[in-house]
Amino acid sequence: MHSLIQAIILGILTGGVYALMASGQTLIFGIMKVVNLAQGALVVLGAYLTYTLFTQLGIDPFLSILITTPLLFLVGVGVQYVLLRPLHGDDVAQLSLLVTFAIALGVEGVLSFAYGSTLTNVQPAYANFSWTILGYQVSLVRFVAFLLSLVMLGLLYLILQRTKFGRSVRATVQNPMSAQLLGVNANRVSALGFGLGAATAAAAGSVFGMLNSFNPGSHYDLISRLLTIVVLGGLGSIGGSVVAALVMGVASSVVSALASPIWSDFTFFIVLLLVLLIRPRGLFGARTRGAL
Amino acid sequence: MQLHIHGPRSRRVRLLASVSALALGALTLAGCSAASPTASSSGPLKIGISLSLTGDFSDSGKAAQRGYDLWASVTNKAGGVLGRQVKLSIVDDASSPDQVVTNYTNLITQDKVDLVFGPYSSLLTVPASRVASRYHYAFIEPAGGGPSVFAQKLTNLFFVQPAPTTKGGDVFANYILSLPANKRPKTAGYAKLDDPFSAPIAASIQKRFEAAGIKTVYDQTYPAETADMTPIMSGMSAANPDVVVGGSQEADAFAQIKGMIQLKFNPKWLFESNGANSPGDFPAAVGANTEGVFSSADWYADSTIAGSSKFISDYVAKYGGDAQKIDPTSAEAYSAGMLLDQVAKKTGKIDNATIIKTLHSGTWPTLVGNLSWDQYGAPKGAYLLIQWINGKLTTVYPSATAQHAPVAPKPHWAG
Repeated sequence: MHSLIQAIILGILTGGVYALMASGQTLIFGIMKVVNLAQGALVVLGAYLTYTLFTQLGIDPFLSILITTPLLFLVGVGVQYVLLRPLHGDDVAQLSLLVTFAIALGVEGVLSFAYGSTLTNVQPAYANFSWTILGYQVSLVRFVAFLLSLVMLGLLYLILQRTKFGRSVRATVQNPMSAQLLGVNANRVSALGFGLGAATAAAAGSVFGMLNSFNPGSHYDLISRLLTIVVLGGLGSIGGSVVAALVMGVASSVVSALASPIWSDFTFFIVLLLVLLIRPRGLFGARTRGAL
Repeated sequence: MQLHIHGPRSRRVRLLASVSALALGALTLAGCSAASPTASSSGPLKIGISLSLTGDFSDSGKAAQRGYDLWASVTNKAGGVLGRQVKLSIVDDASSPDQVVTNYTNLITQDKVDLVFGPYSSLLTVPASRVASRYHYAFIEPAGGGPSVFAQKLTNLFFVQPAPTTKGGDVFANYILSLPANKRPKTAGYAKLDDPFSAPIAASIQKRFEAAGIKTVYDQTYPAETADMTPIMSGMSAANPDVVVGGSQEADAFAQIKGMIQLKFNPKWLFESNGANSPGDFPAAVGANTEGVFSSADWYADSTIAGSSKFISDYVAKYGGDAQKIDPTSAEAYSAGMLLDQVAKKTGKIDNATIIKTLHSGTWPTLVGNLSWDQYGAPKGAYLLIQWINGKLTTVYPSATAQHAPVAPKPHWAG
């Protein structure tokens, strides 16, 4: 019983970090119908930025989020403007897959050139600290990361629900044509949306760098996880991706601790298959377009 | 001992490797044995090497390059091999098993190099050594020690490390079983990375522990993509074994230790087959929590083996930096060159047939120990047991070469 509860605590805290990464992924899909294969690479880029700020300038990894998120927001906007906006026609979805994969490879190449392929991680003094609560261990970094994810997701919610930009996003998600007729600048919404998605990757990257050793190739495993989370949650649903990330976190942690790590990812895929059999659009996938 | 598989792309690369190995096998079957291209026996001694200067293994590939280059420049300063200046032809294989085949074929048939040395990793050594074997070249290789290398049963191959990679942990079992029965651990837990270089190391230790009555209370194998080891360590911590054996590569070893610290689980003995033997990366990844962790190694900066301090001073003079940051791969590559020097001195000749025949008998001192091989190139020695003591890697077993007695039980985590 003790092992089970410990595993659930670990799973929820880890799931929170994945929720943050996946929320950006699903937001981008919701707005642009682009499956962003570069999201994992952007997380790794965020981790390397945090690493550099920490080792060169001594900036605390959590504080560095204030620098990395705006930076990657701009990168995201730039990428959308230069590489995705020019795509036209019926093949946009397929083409964008290739373009975002190319971006991922490009980011990986640049990082390999700059940092080499050796594993690295961000190691502040408190990286391994944990509290003992009722006999259970709660890691400081994971706990703060979880809170941070909640804050970031809350901010994202407020932006989408309470701002003019958010209204434009939701309108674009529901019906891009009508939104444009009503004066919404679809290009602008797409660029800012991609920027927001990249910004969530930056925040998640700072935390990812403290929790895991990483190298420029780490994005392959990340993106496969993110895609399964987004599909389970329902493509385009931020709430769905949060729930799916928590389900994945808890399922893999509990199976790892109590059964075998070999089965942990597999279990998640079984859950994914079952959900898709019953609800082909995922847990919270919209029956009609527009439930972001 | 060094890592032979890196990063998440390794599975893809491994797939490529199997495909190219199949293709190569078919080629070899279809064709007959090729004649050895005639290389000149005067003028500079040309040695061809393919290395991973880009791609997944680039950091280790460059470390091997530094070792080879250093050996060549030291040897040339001392008058060369049998009076011939050494000239290395190093080409990049981008960590690709296909490119490595092309490279060695070109080096041997087009560039007509006199000799070849091995590439980095077992993945590339397997296809490369088949090319060398086809042309009857000796294949002295410092970085391919996996089971697939020796399973080829090539008689021209010599692995320049003390033992095959899967025997990396045997020295830890020797140490534990050398303790009096009442001081030995009673229970053991194993966390094994599912790859041919890692899990077998822990399995080999486990077999000997179980035969000696050390009970297995936790035993899990995890796939290579497991980034977060905390759930596994939470199972380990619940089982509370006296000794924890990690059959690990680098990232997972660091993650295991981070998991143990966060769960406040401190075993009496902790052995990690890889990762903890990295003098620079390990402290960078786990901070001050290195103390008391065991691993195994062939060469490291404080090694007391003959020639090591000269190697270090030459290395630092040529490349700068400090001794602790020298990758063991550089010492292993350098040792490949040392073998050539010795064969030349002993026989007065330096052709492939002589090298192959000569190395098959006798014992050969190098930076990574006194080497001798079985007929298929598997070294017959053992690694050194090393432990982090006062922030430094220290040899603790076998006693004859130990710099310090093993520290047990392991001190508490620094946090």
